[in-house]
Amino acid sequence: MSAISELSHIKVTKAKSPEERLARRKEATRDNKAGYLFLLPWLVGLVVITIGPMIASLYLSFTNYSLIQAPEWTGLANYARMLDDARLHHSLKVTFIYVFVSVPLQLILALGIALLLDKGMRGLALYRSIFYLPSMLGGSVAIALLWRQMFGTDGIVNQILRLFGLEATTGWISDPKYALGTIILLHIWTFGSPMVIFLAGLRQIPGMYYEAASVDGATRWVRFTQITLPLLSPIIFFNLVLQIIGAFQSFTQAFVVSNGTGGPSDSTLFYTLYLYQRGFGQFQMGYAAAMAWLLVVIVGVLTAINFFASKYWVFYDD
Amino acid sequence: MTLDSTRNLTYSLGKRFHNQWRKGNAMAVTRRQFLIGGGVAVAAMTTGLAACGSNSESGGSADGSADLQFAWWGNEVRNKNTDAAIAAYMKANPNVKISGQPGEFATYWDKLATQTAGNTAPDIIQMDMAYIAEYGSRGALLDLGEGGADVSKFAEGTVDSGKIDGKLVGLNAGINTPTILANPAVFEKAKMDLPDDTTWTWDQAKEVGAELTSKVGGGVFGMSSIFNDATLSAFLRQHGKELFVDKGLGFEAADVVPWFEMQVAYEKAKAIPSAAAVSEEANKPLDQSGLVTSKAGMAMFWSNQVEAVNAASGGEMAILRYPSIAGKATERKAWYKAGQLFSVSARTKNPDASVAFVNWLVNSPEAAAINLAERGIPANTEIAASIQSKLSPAQKSVAKFIADIKPELAETPIAPPPGGGTLAAVMTRYQTDVLFGRTSPADAATKFVDELKSNLTG
Repeated sequence: MSAISELSHIKVTKAKSPEERLARRKEATRDNKAGYLFLLPWLVGLVVITIGPMIASLYLSFTNYSLIQAPEWTGLANYARMLDDARLHHSLKVTFIYVFVSVPLQLILALGIALLLDKGMRGLALYRSIFYLPSMLGGSVAIALLWRQMFGTDGIVNQILRLFGLEATTGWISDPKYALGTIILLHIWTFGSPMVIFLAGLRQIPGMYYEAASVDGATRWVRFTQITLPLLSPIIFFNLVLQIIGAFQSFTQAFVVSNGTGGPSDSTLFYTLYLYQRGFGQFQMGYAAAMAWLLVVIVGVLTAINFFASKYWVFYDD
Repeated sequence: MTLDSTRNLTYSLGKRFHNQWRKGNAMAVTRRQFLIGGGVAVAAMTTGLAACGSNSESGGSADGSADLQFAWWGNEVRNKNTDAAIAAYMKANPNVKISGQPGEFATYWDKLATQTAGNTAPDIIQMDMAYIAEYGSRGALLDLGEGGADVSKFAEGTVDSGKIDGKLVGLNAGINTPTILANPAVFEKAKMDLPDDTTWTWDQAKEVGAELTSKVGGGVFGMSSIFNDATLSAFLRQHGKELFVDKGLGFEAADVVPWFEMQVAYEKAKAIPSAAAVSEEANKPLDQSGLVTSKAGMAMFWSNQVEAVNAASGGEMAILRYPSIAGKATERKAWYKAGQLFSVSARTKNPDASVAFVNWLVNSPEAAAINLAERGIPANTEIAASIQSKLSPAQKSVAKFIADIKPELAETPIAPPPGGGTLAAVMTRYQTDVLFGRTSPADAATKFVDELKSNLTG
């Protein structure tokens, strides 16, 4: 099942004599050239669009750069300043809450719906599309705008609550107590892409395991925890890593819902939003670049922890 | 598993390809052809890029011909007017070519900052008071005084707002002044008269608001929150302070404690809506705002927004003076603000042609006849008089208001220094905290001032 183990099988075939090895190497260089040539369009993109700007931003992170004047080298000043920046610490707190609440809930919902759809009902394709739809729309400006209307003090959510006789005057996006929760809800709602991946994973679990377990009298719950979860764990892992990285980079929802302010009262001040405010609002591109690198480190460390921890719970059925 | 089968498929495809590759000549020729093709493509791309480069280099020459870029933010009316003005100018000056870059306020500044960083800033830039120091003090804007701009006919108090470090880097594109707009229909519903704005104090304004709220009912409030950077400036000026003094903040924490306390009092009296509604209102576009949708009887607006408010609401708003501490309009320390300014990039290749165009925009009857008072009442008094008869009813009442308040004008506030553009956002944040009861007015005042000070130095 695992890609890594399969790759290691390929590697072990060795050449036997020196001549054979030489021939092999020659052939390899020739193949490599062709390979790189085919890779060229992608490589050009990588260097020009990703690596180049990354190096530039690393350089800028050590400068005072207002965008208008040439950057001026200040060494580690930007990084030192981050230690005292209370809004930066607050934005980290907001982002961590957002990631660690919304990602698990979103994955649980995605898995739940995938399990329902996996029952092989009629019109599966239709349901799958319907559930997938929010994922395609969720990151868009239009949906964030719609969300803002729906959760306003006179929005449809409060109007529905009023139908039930409740005195609903809560500003779901304008009250600092609820604003982040509303954005988390928006994120959870876009569970479609992990759901589709879960569904594909569920389809690959051989039915015979379940049959055998049923014969032995295993309950549904036992079948789920002893067969489904372990066999699905590589997929869960994959979704977890991608969703965490994606959630850290969330920007659009908070930007649109709060009009770029991170408000009310900084309750939705995502890290990326604060970075944007520093860079483009306050013309501190050097500081913003340093912030971007801090984010790279944070996401990198979390991903590394994720991979390390995966040894203990991800099961590859080889 | 799908993932597995995909991988196997990829692997076997790769193997087959690999074997074919090894077969020799036939494939080798294809490869060479491919290489040549690739080389040609790369060469074409490079020349293409080079071509782009040389295009953007084009510009001025000795015969006075010029190729100019003009960027502004605005609305549909402004875009149409400005395009018409550009066309009229190009017709009169056939060797000058001007391309317009209309935009939205929110994205305009990101784009301008990026363009300036990339050395591709437009030649003529519509500028805002909040940002003029960011650009002007960093040498990104041309000294228009030296460049030959003509401000000889400008009304008093309209030239200085474009000066940064003693250099004139922006020309007033239209006079603006803060106002309180009142919806007469709401007052009628409450059977109340419009307040006397020449004598009302902040306390009386609160009472008028509270009375409206209770008399109209149905979720309508006397006023939307009138507490923003403009009214804070007015409030501080009435206390003998300013938002900003040269390179620094013009007030201390103690000066804004009563400011935050006043808002709590307004909310308690139900002159303004609840904290949640206030913070929601701040993010609403004009056409959904409380005043326009008749959910509020009064609101703070700039004078150049009156026409848009009237158009959106379908009614005609009364223009009121903001309140004062003394209850005397002459002591309310009013001022003319530049609604926008016209600036020229310091790195333009055609400084003369750019300044000439800006001069034409602000000083010629032809340009004024096209733009009218959409950007605000023209600062050039002769020009303002020349378009008087062509103005819409809303613009006429604004022009009258601006002329009426002349005796109430105090010194023009200086442009916010770099970092000062953040004031409004920082203030909104702490006001929200105070209204939601998360911070006391005293704490909010201290934090507000501390954060602003650190923004100004950073």
